[in-house]
Amino acid sequence: MASKEVLIIGGGIAGMQAALDLGEMGIKVHLVEKNPSIGGKMAQLDKTFPTNDCTI
Amino acid sequence: MGDFKAMVHRKARYVDQSRCTACGACAEKCPTKVPNEFNFGLDDRKAIYKDYAQGIPSVFTIDPNSCKVLQGGKCGVCAKVCQAKAVDYEQKPHDVELNVAAVIVSTGYELFDATQIPEYGYGKLPNVISSLEMERLLSAGGPTKGHLSRPSVIRGEARLKEVAKLIKKAEKAEDQPQLAKLQQEQKWLEEHIHKCHTAKRLGFIQCVGSRDFRFHKYCSSYCCMHSIKEAIIAREHEHETESFIFYMDLRTVGKGFEEYKVRGATVSNLKYIRGRVAEVLQDEDLNPVVYYEDTEQRRVVSMTLDMVILANACSPSKGITALAKMLGLELEENNFVKTHPNRPLDTNVPGIFTCGCAQGPLDIPESVAQASSAAARAAEVVMTGGRALAV
Repeated sequence: MASKEVLIIGGGIAGMQAALDLGEMGIKVHLVEKNPSIGGKMAQLDKTFPTNDCTI
Repeated sequence: MGDFKAMVHRKARYVDQSRCTACGACAEKCPTKVPNEFNFGLDDRKAIYKDYAQGIPSVFTIDPNSCKVLQGGKCGVCAKVCQAKAVDYEQKPHDVELNVAAVIVSTGYELFDATQIPEYGYGKLPNVISSLEMERLLSAGGPTKGHLSRPSVIRGEARLKEVAKLIKKAEKAEDQPQLAKLQQEQKWLEEHIHKCHTAKRLGFIQCVGSRDFRFHKYCSSYCCMHSIKEAIIAREHEHETESFIFYMDLRTVGKGFEEYKVRGATVSNLKYIRGRVAEVLQDEDLNPVVYYEDTEQRRVVSMTLDMVILANACSPSKGITALAKMLGLELEENNFVKTHPNRPLDTNVPGIFTCGCAQGPLDIPESVAQASSAAARAAEVVMTGGRALAV
């Protein structure tokens, strides 16, 4: 029986968004991230352009 | 097709994820301090730590390289103060086997290492910093709570504390030459580091590593906007801030980006100077001095600033070569993941997709859009049992 799960390598903004979209569809996701928290580079940013809202 | 077996190496946190409530009592009492990589060494963290306060999973982690117990020594303070009894020094890393229908590679990027451009002084001059270091200085949750303290002050004060300790040690050991050297350093630090505390005159150097035949020929796409943003935010924190951006072209492509660039100039005291910076030197007060060619005025000029912020290029992540080999993925000439021309998120391996900066420099909305697209491709594979893999 073919698997119905997806592996996502990298838990930054792209990995997180893909995981959320797949999760919403009811597909099980394994999100693998080497750092203790997900978030990637975006977690280190203060505000984002052009709206200057905070990322976290 | 559409059927992969993955072996994932699960690292040990030495903290039981099901018990930890992230109260932080452990980190408060931990006696071991190390430079905080998240803040590029601008402050310290403990051996038991959380990357950042809002990190998910909301669990603490022990760094095995600095924890006294995990290095074979005596401590155990965190285990003692943890009311949830979540600390587990015996936890072992283990391998998990997964069976998946599709894989998405979203490993992101790495900041270009600007020490490769020695003429900019990164790594030597304390007040020349990278774009991400600037982000940490501007952040309310960062090492200076958003205040633009010059790194020469931050690192200078840390070094002063260290030197005071070393002086005591040298006095005890009666090591006269070492003592003399340290006292000289202490005098120099006390005289110089507090001359200018807050950075108000900022210089942004664009294309550091990008559009550069020596390193990356490509444009990193977001750095022009990124630097303009940092200049605008810096002025919000400190009204007397004035900023200069040294650029070749100002690439502000996107919705609202052109208006943002204009706003920088009209509202946020930001001047755009068209010219490449040849060299960054330093005066005796640790102020960076930038030598550049102003192409509109056709002159070579120098400018003294409080701080220089480099717009480091978006480099492919170091681990991508090994990962690509493991997965059988092709990389393109810049080492980003190679994608099919008609299906921009498909890799050469059916069932493996990519998105975000792993496939090339992108800003956040573009990364998010690509991620949703890759999710859709992966879902197609799952829902059709692998049938949707023909390009």
